[in-house]
Amino acid sequence: MKKLVIIPAYNEQGGIEKTVRDILEHAPDFDYVIVNDCSTDRTLEICKKNGYCVLDLPVNLGIGGSVQTGYMYAFRCGYDVAVQFDGDGQHNARYLNDMADKLENERLDMVIGSRYIKKEGFQSSGIRRIGIRYFTGMIRLVTGKKITDPTSGMRMAGRDVIEMYAKNYPKDYPEPESVVAALKAGKKVGEIPVRMNAREEGVSSISPRKSVYYMIKVSLAILIAAVRR
Amino acid sequence: MSLKIQVIVAVVIVLALCWIANMVRKEALSIRFALSWLTVGAVVLVLDLFPGIMDYLVHLLGIELPVNMMFFFGFCFTLFLLFTLTVKVSKQEEHIKRLTQEMALLEKQVKKEK
Repeated sequence: MKKLVIIPAYNEQGGIEKTVRDILEHAPDFDYVIVNDCSTDRTLEICKKNGYCVLDLPVNLGIGGSVQTGYMYAFRCGYDVAVQFDGDGQHNARYLNDMADKLENERLDMVIGSRYIKKEGFQSSGIRRIGIRYFTGMIRLVTGKKITDPTSGMRMAGRDVIEMYAKNYPKDYPEPESVVAALKAGKKVGEIPVRMNAREEGVSSISPRKSVYYMIKVSLAILIAAVRR
Repeated sequence: MSLKIQVIVAVVIVLALCWIANMVRKEALSIRFALSWLTVGAVVLVLDLFPGIMDYLVHLLGIELPVNMMFFFGFCFTLFLLFTLTVKVSKQEEHIKRLTQEMALLEKQVKKEK
């Protein structure tokens, strides 16, 4: 089984080394690839200095385009499993093996690392949790499946979903929409409880001012993904 | 409509048409995009030179003032053009994304083979 960790990185100079060390230490079976989304800080320099495996986007594509590049790489290099993993220290590599086991043992197509099964670790702010529950409800409404953490950026995909995402992946705020696309395509999606950390480096891409746009855009995207064949 | 205004409008449109044609000649504007603008210029020029057409159309559609008809159709045309442009921008955005991704993947492959 070839397994790949996809690390989208935009200005992650402070967290990228720690992230790679975490993966090498806790998930040694996994290869990793960093997708540098045209960072303006020293991210690329640090990657090159350390000899990290890096895909360097010449133009800034945003999170969706970066992650998709990782899935394209995984698909072409023949990986059986690919997992998205944030470069800012929010995710813990020690869950990667559990996720891969669940994917294999239960013959799932996708496993999401969820903060809200055991409700441990960093839980995000109250207002964001309300937003996340709203998406959970909405996804349940359109697909009939319960996804407790649809905005989680820690998601593992099997070969089918890798291929699907390599071909088609939303551009911005992609997580809930792409889960709906997978469910609608008849893929089996499971979740395991994980702890996440509060962000150590960098800032959230969703500022308060953008959150209204975020809610509307993602709601619409979910509805459209639900009626897309 | 006074003759004076008619002449001014005609001159402005002819100048605009020449400008657009020159842009196409210099390959600063593709014919595909120039076509809609040339058409609109030609239509306005015809309406300007033969005001009778306007009067007839206004009467036919039951619009009180010829100028209202101009505004209405001008607005519809602008909206249509804007919308088709956003569709084109979306398509180009997708193309640019794909090219960027392929470039990053190719670069990786080239470095590996070296």
